[in-house]
Amino acid sequence: MSGTELVRVAVDAERCIGGGQCEMLEPEVFLVDDDEAISSVVGSGALPRPRADVVVHRCPGAAVSIVEPQRPSE
Amino acid sequence: MSPSAASTPTLAPEIADPRLYLDGIPHERFAEIRAMPGLAWHPYGDNGFWAVTRHADVRAVSRNPKVFSSAIGHTNLWDLEADALEARRSLIDTDAPDHTRLRRMVAGAFTPKNIRRWEDAVREITVELLDEFLAEGGGDWVEMVAAPLPIRVILSMLGVPVADGGYLVELSNYLVEGTSDTQSLPPDAFGNTTELRLLPFNSPASHALFEYGDEMRSKRRAEPCDDLVTHLVKAEAEGGRISRHEYRHLFHLLVFAGNETTRTAISHGAMALAAHPDQWQRVVDDPDLVEPATEEIIRWATPVLHMRRTAAADCELAGTPIAAGDKVVMWYASANRDEAAYTDPFRFDVGRGDNEHFAFGGGGPHLCLGAFLARLEVSVLLQEMAARRMLLEQRGEPVRVASNFVHGVLSVDMAPGWGP
Repeated sequence: MSGTELVRVAVDAERCIGGGQCEMLEPEVFLVDDDEAISSVVGSGALPRPRADVVVHRCPGAAVSIVEPQRPSE
Repeated sequence: MSPSAASTPTLAPEIADPRLYLDGIPHERFAEIRAMPGLAWHPYGDNGFWAVTRHADVRAVSRNPKVFSSAIGHTNLWDLEADALEARRSLIDTDAPDHTRLRRMVAGAFTPKNIRRWEDAVREITVELLDEFLAEGGGDWVEMVAAPLPIRVILSMLGVPVADGGYLVELSNYLVEGTSDTQSLPPDAFGNTTELRLLPFNSPASHALFEYGDEMRSKRRAEPCDDLVTHLVKAEAEGGRISRHEYRHLFHLLVFAGNETTRTAISHGAMALAAHPDQWQRVVDDPDLVEPATEEIIRWATPVLHMRRTAAADCELAGTPIAAGDKVVMWYASANRDEAAYTDPFRFDVGRGDNEHFAFGGGGPHLCLGAFLARLEVSVLLQEMAARRMLLEQRGEPVRVASNFVHGVLSVDMAPGWGP
């Protein structure tokens, strides 16, 4: 969508409880590790801001944050 | 202590009496509490609790575990003596960092990706149960479908032999009794010698489940397999990342929670589909509705009615001052029918969008470990029922559990039919 700002997301490994909400919502961006059960960002970690906001809102450990705005998409 | 403030708080109508729940959730009482200003105080025993009933307030409590602790007092309505609390402490009754450490021991098995690996196994069990149900011309849906489906799946994950499934369901049923006023077991059942107050759900069935878990532990120590018990046994052996006590309670929790809660969702789900054939027809006609229908069934069922937290410090919620030590009870059953969070919350709508329900917890770190497994089980069941163009017709009233904690159904008679 035009004008949708892209932001970069990050996971705080200390706070992550491996609940998997992020992986459910954005499987292209988050993956929970099998052994440690800690989520991490795969790839660039870029998401449109409204979708990033949903992940932040739904993360049960308050471990996902928006680290910086990226360039606006065309 | 409390209500602490100088002002007298609003008193909530009775919602803790387990007998109220024999006729279903007392929704009109919860609606009354949701409409009260601030938080309402509910007398209970020689003390009481703050009744948190609105969706936004439940979320605020659930997501602030530093203030609203799971480790103090108990996560059920009544307090436990200090020694009983320690003896009974499980993942449910811990805060970070213990909660985070324990949860990560098992959380890897329950991620969306890893739960998807169980889809074929879940489908095979579902097909077998549905075919039996149809061949028999129906019967008790709980006994024939809702109970065996989740227990067989969790036992496969744990590595428990199928032949022991019936015994573990029986134990789990006795544990549910422990949440109500009735206990049909004598204290020394299953060879129990532990004081009941030191056992989860005050039940000698907990002793039996611990014993069973210990046997599994010995077997997997001798002969490791690719299952959850082996994983936990390794974690215990490898430098004590998990204690013996923690192992026993995790095993207990996985069996109980993996059995009781999804059974409840599938029981209420069947009743909802029988009562709303138009909604079921939508799912049959459109496979894309399986996912939102699954969420709606889980919201509708709300298998766990509440969880309690205890204030670790003086604080405020919804404008009401709360004192350190006060009990704060999140009523998921109410939040999931909050008019402020849902359009027409009492409508069963398989196409409901953006359904942020609190049937897996209130949004905080104690999120149901088995959430994705429960979703898989319900959605595979819906797919297989739809593939058969199967209808359900409810015969008579369900037998409900007298409990303010679990929204349990003991039995409900269902007859199958076929759609156009």
